[in-house]
Amino acid sequence: MFNRRHLLKSTACGFGSLALAAVGGHNASGQSLLPRPGPVVPRAKRVIFLFMAGGISHVDSFDYKPRLAKENGVKRSFDDARTVAKTGKGAEQRIMQSLWEFRQRGHSGQWASELFPQLARRMDDLCVLKGLHTEGVAHGPATLFLHTGTTNFIRPSMGSWISYGLGTENHNLPSFVSISPSLSNGGPRNFGPAFLPPVFQGTPLGRAGQPATEATIKNLGNATLSGPDQTRQFELLRQLHREQRQRAAAAGHLGDIDAVIDSYELAWRLQTNAPDVLDLAGESAATLALYGIDQKHSANFGRQCLMARRLAESGVRFIQVNYTDNSNNPAWDQHGNLPKHKDHAAAVDQPVAGLLQDLKQRGLLEDTLVWFGSEFGRTPYAQDNGTGRDHNPLGFTQWLAGAGVKPGFSYGATDEFGHLAIDGKVHLHDLHATILHLLGLDHERLTFRHAGRDFRLTDVHGRVVRDILT
Amino acid sequence: MVPPRFKLYLLVLAAGFPPGRSLAAPGMEFFEDKVRPLLVEHCYECHSAGHKIKGGLQLDHRAGWETGGDSGPALVPGDPAASRLLRAVSYQDRDLKMPPRQKLPEAAVAILREWIASGAPDPRLEVPGDPANAVPAAAKPGGLPWSFQPLTVAAGDPELPAVKDGAWLRDPVDYHILSALEKEGLGPVEDAAPQAVMRRLFFDLTGLPPSAEDLAEAGSRPFPELVDHLLASDAFAERWAQHWLDLTRFAESSGGGRTLPFKDAWRFRDYVIESIRQDVPLNRMITEHLAGDLLPAADDDERRRQLTATAFLALGPTNYEEQDKGVLRMDIIDEQLETIGRSFMGLTIGCARCHDHKFDPISIRDYYALAGIFGSTQTLRDYTSNVAHWVDLPLPMEPGMAAAIEEKEIRLARLQDELKKVTALAKKNPPATVLTTVRPDKAISTDQLPGIVVDESAATLAGGWKTSTRYPGFIGQGYLHDKDVPKGTATATFVPPIPEAGRYEVRVAYTHAPEREKKVPVHILHADGEEDLTFDQSVVPPIEGRFVSLGTFRFEKDGAGFILISNEGTTGIVTLDAIQLLSERERATLTKNAPEQDGPDHAARLRELQAEIKSLKNTPPFRPETMGVREVPEPVDCRIHIRGNIRNPGEPVPRGAIGGGHFPDMSPIPAGQSGRVQFAEWVTHPGNPLTARVLVNRVWMHLFGEGLVRSVDNFGNSGERPSHPALLDQLAADFMADGWSLRKLVRRLVLTRTWQLASLPSPDPIHAAGQARDPDNRLLGRAHRRRLDAHALRDAILTVSGRLDRRLFGPNVSAGSVDANSSEAQTLEYSYVFTDLRRSLYAPAFRNKRLELFEHFDFADINGPIGQRTRGTIVPQALYFLNHPFILTESRAAAARLSKSKPGASPTEKVDWLWLSILGRTPSGRERGHALTFLHAPEEPGTHSGPETRYAHLIQTLFASADFRYMD
Repeated sequence: MFNRRHLLKSTACGFGSLALAAVGGHNASGQSLLPRPGPVVPRAKRVIFLFMAGGISHVDSFDYKPRLAKENGVKRSFDDARTVAKTGKGAEQRIMQSLWEFRQRGHSGQWASELFPQLARRMDDLCVLKGLHTEGVAHGPATLFLHTGTTNFIRPSMGSWISYGLGTENHNLPSFVSISPSLSNGGPRNFGPAFLPPVFQGTPLGRAGQPATEATIKNLGNATLSGPDQTRQFELLRQLHREQRQRAAAAGHLGDIDAVIDSYELAWRLQTNAPDVLDLAGESAATLALYGIDQKHSANFGRQCLMARRLAESGVRFIQVNYTDNSNNPAWDQHGNLPKHKDHAAAVDQPVAGLLQDLKQRGLLEDTLVWFGSEFGRTPYAQDNGTGRDHNPLGFTQWLAGAGVKPGFSYGATDEFGHLAIDGKVHLHDLHATILHLLGLDHERLTFRHAGRDFRLTDVHGRVVRDILT
Repeated sequence: MVPPRFKLYLLVLAAGFPPGRSLAAPGMEFFEDKVRPLLVEHCYECHSAGHKIKGGLQLDHRAGWETGGDSGPALVPGDPAASRLLRAVSYQDRDLKMPPRQKLPEAAVAILREWIASGAPDPRLEVPGDPANAVPAAAKPGGLPWSFQPLTVAAGDPELPAVKDGAWLRDPVDYHILSALEKEGLGPVEDAAPQAVMRRLFFDLTGLPPSAEDLAEAGSRPFPELVDHLLASDAFAERWAQHWLDLTRFAESSGGGRTLPFKDAWRFRDYVIESIRQDVPLNRMITEHLAGDLLPAADDDERRRQLTATAFLALGPTNYEEQDKGVLRMDIIDEQLETIGRSFMGLTIGCARCHDHKFDPISIRDYYALAGIFGSTQTLRDYTSNVAHWVDLPLPMEPGMAAAIEEKEIRLARLQDELKKVTALAKKNPPATVLTTVRPDKAISTDQLPGIVVDESAATLAGGWKTSTRYPGFIGQGYLHDKDVPKGTATATFVPPIPEAGRYEVRVAYTHAPEREKKVPVHILHADGEEDLTFDQSVVPPIEGRFVSLGTFRFEKDGAGFILISNEGTTGIVTLDAIQLLSERERATLTKNAPEQDGPDHAARLRELQAEIKSLKNTPPFRPETMGVREVPEPVDCRIHIRGNIRNPGEPVPRGAIGGGHFPDMSPIPAGQSGRVQFAEWVTHPGNPLTARVLVNRVWMHLFGEGLVRSVDNFGNSGERPSHPALLDQLAADFMADGWSLRKLVRRLVLTRTWQLASLPSPDPIHAAGQARDPDNRLLGRAHRRRLDAHALRDAILTVSGRLDRRLFGPNVSAGSVDANSSEAQTLEYSYVFTDLRRSLYAPAFRNKRLELFEHFDFADINGPIGQRTRGTIVPQALYFLNHPFILTESRAAAARLSKSKPGASPTEKVDWLWLSILGRTPSGRERGHALTFLHAPEEPGTHSGPETRYAHLIQTLFASADFRYMD
């Protein structure tokens, strides 16, 4: 049975040396964190998740609903998710047409609006899921659901599950990285390991609100010690560790101390290597332009995307790129002012399109799964008769591209208004199962025993959406 | 070629058709022809043997739907409307839609309706597959766990196992350990070296390291005397309070989605410290945690303690933002039950929320019997608010405090009085600039006005607004009105570009006329929430004849804030010209430059008063309150929620505790009470086989590194069994007889011979054999080598640097009240800067933002009880010790302290002192050599380290070294 618990338990030194191995590769006792194939033939080696916090309006971007224009301003009764959660009933709402014109694109003829002009040119690469639905009406619960598969319980994040399931490919870098994550809406829980061993925690690079130029791993250097001073000090640490190791050997405690010693050797290597991986100075002007880094409005997210590509090339398993801020109503949350979607689109459109093109031309799209989406979509009607839209977890769109999914393909549908998913429905549990499947993991067998029972990312739900697989 | 549907039909016929029945039976043909294929195609995937049996419902044989699943019979023959199955397939209920992924075609629904209406003839009498499979696995509870058996020994009744080496023994505990070792042909190693015992004792009892001086005297003072000395110290109370806070998932914010700061959680922390300092019996503490608000109190002090204790029930990682408040209520109860079960009884009660426990004899009925007790307990202020809020209980005031609070409140009342008066005056006598009855006669452009001005031409409009320039005093291009526009259809949204975060006065410009609307609705989204206001357009705009002020609000830089004006619910004409936002600075300038007026400036005084009131409200002293719980007005039993779904209620279960005959009965609950008092009695009842065992095992784990039961949080069938069952029972029995005294238990355990064993094997071959045969050291032939946790690490570093602030108690986060709907609540946590140099247990324990050292050293997550800290070794720890400013600063401080306190000491003496202070032992000759070489190496190019800096680097290296993190 595929269950790492046994491996973890069977190592004499517990998690200590394992944890080390996750980053280190070589170790005394546990080989289990070395990269390993899952039980299913993997199509993807890694995932880049472009998280659009706040909720992109699907009916203004990828889910074309001509009826909204036809009935613009008309009042109709809808089962609004928020009203239903609060009152158990639906309510009368005013239909609002899309602010952006839709056209069919490319050979595949997929619909896309003018909101994302650059991405619209890459529709032939995208596998668009239009029948998604999820849980949680507010940002916090829905964001946690997207990342951990539950709105409220304390569960490991998806990247942690994947690190736990597959180990790492690069012993000088973490296996799960989240670029510029938010403190809000679940904050660290969205890249946390919960009850999985701490080594499976995502490594944050910077944080929301901090420019991407400053995003790096914590404590990678200090301003106090000069290089030669620190080298000399590190030599002393090695000498002392040799003495301490001898004492430990006599006591039979080598596993513990070797783990610590190795962690320092790795830290030392990381301190030397990671800055190079994250340093964009060597990238050509053409590449910078491809990612929109030459444009003020898209430079920041462009840097994040370019970092993601460099991390993907270096073997990081799960790279999350966050487009968010630290507020309770993050980024795409346009309750009162839908036109502001345009500003956010301008910030991410070129970077994401550039990332796809770059991955493709480097052959990385073959074994990299790109995943783009929000915690939920938005309503087809105006909120409080204003010019914005409220949250809609009942039907929305995300897209995948790359390893193992059909390109230029649409799957599923919402009703005529874009309110409820009705056809080819994919619950986020199903999407989680599918992404694990693409990575070679069986979501029903990727379990961890905690507090007396086995836990899964998909709890007791989830099914692999085979229709979208190549 | 047979069509696929027909093929399936044939297959079903061949496989499932029972012999001896005729298709001629009435309705059977219809069933076989229409109904069965439909069930096979659409339902079997989730409701048949060999596939899944979701919700316990099987649709592959007649009895399957007759009995039905967790919710009861699936259909009522002859009555489609009363049949759950039909309701499900016709998608009538919001929460019961089958098949879940896509509704059946109408024709299919009609077939099912017809079938049920005709009495639901169904020939499928045989139960398919193995009958056992038809019963969901959940219905089969596990056997009786060992821990549900009563204690096997009585207190002070040592029927001690025989041992060979009687001279070795000190306490009955040692008999059990030695006897088990001897049974395996093994024996204990030697006692630990005096320095190692000292370091162990100080860290275990106080969480602080022994000083070099303490270590130099190691062994000279009688050991029991030293133990008593440490047990009596405040540091002991702090250290063991931290263990208790871990267990009670103590935190100072809710974490998760919209994290809210728990402004009074520190009171619970202080209550725990004080209780342990007073050696309050642990059963008493648990009783207070569960029912403190209901216990009689002799005086204010006791009342205060007991109310504060109930914060335990409120401190969980509650998702206050959950929109479905029914779910929120059950989630809170679940969290409470899970925490109580896990922390005090080693049970995983939460497993029974949706189905009977898979491993332990806890049924779903047991769960909802308990849930009724906590459902009759109020944990939220109300169960309707958009963002919910816990209950703040007023506390009896401490002596001396009443006067100060009264003084503050009198002042506040006076200010509010004045505010009322000035508001009235300001209305009656608007300032001179306002006193215009003349309509401005010239249009002005937006850039002629101060502040941020958004003209109506820049607003986002919905509905058929009309433009006009009829009255010339407008701003910008003209203004809008809604004459002949349907009411309730027109909105205008102004999004002011906010250059920097701050408070802004919001003003609206309009053209007035008598027939205009008196209540124009405005909706403002600002950084702290939302506001719905109205203003009157039938009167002259009070400010400069153009504007009316809507108040002052906080906006984020480039945030999502907006001002929405609509004609919803209006009857008069609504006009719109522009909005203006003035920062506080701009407003101040305007006021200063305003023409001299006769009489006082009421508006200015009004603003002053508002500011003063706000600031006074946020300044201590606050009327003391604690988070806590209270009884609901009408306690009721809880219905079983089938599959844990609140929309699927089953029968009600009388409130009570876990039954099964292995526990004492819970006393009957008096009418009108929740039952928490009786539940607390039951948890701490001497006949309850779990609580004392679980607590004793936890203390054992803190002192020995592993529990006698290593799965400290799980005493059920899926947990581990005790390595020394009789010893565990003896300790539990004696602990209860000793009045559940933590201090006595700790004292007893550290005075055993076993606790003082070395962690090193001796050269004796018997120990090599022991290590080979007992690699996990379950038999405790030697001590476990243990890791210092995050708190001990930080406190030890601050002890060595001499900067540890030893003040006890008190808040770190200060707030008068928490507005759940205001983003200021989150700002308090996210922008918190950790500067406190007191012991780590005083560092604000936020759930989303942790002291960085805690993140790296396994104290990242306090969303549930922490029975045992994890012990990861990860690279961020190494980076932290190499580079984090805290380590660099404290290393320098330690070096400065060393040079000041030991001015005449030789480098060798200094090095020895450092080894003792940091690693708790004298350096070996080689270690001393390395250190001295490092301190005296010639300066190299690129290095610039004076002597004290070199000491700082050496100290940092010792902090970084593995031995600092371990205890031998």
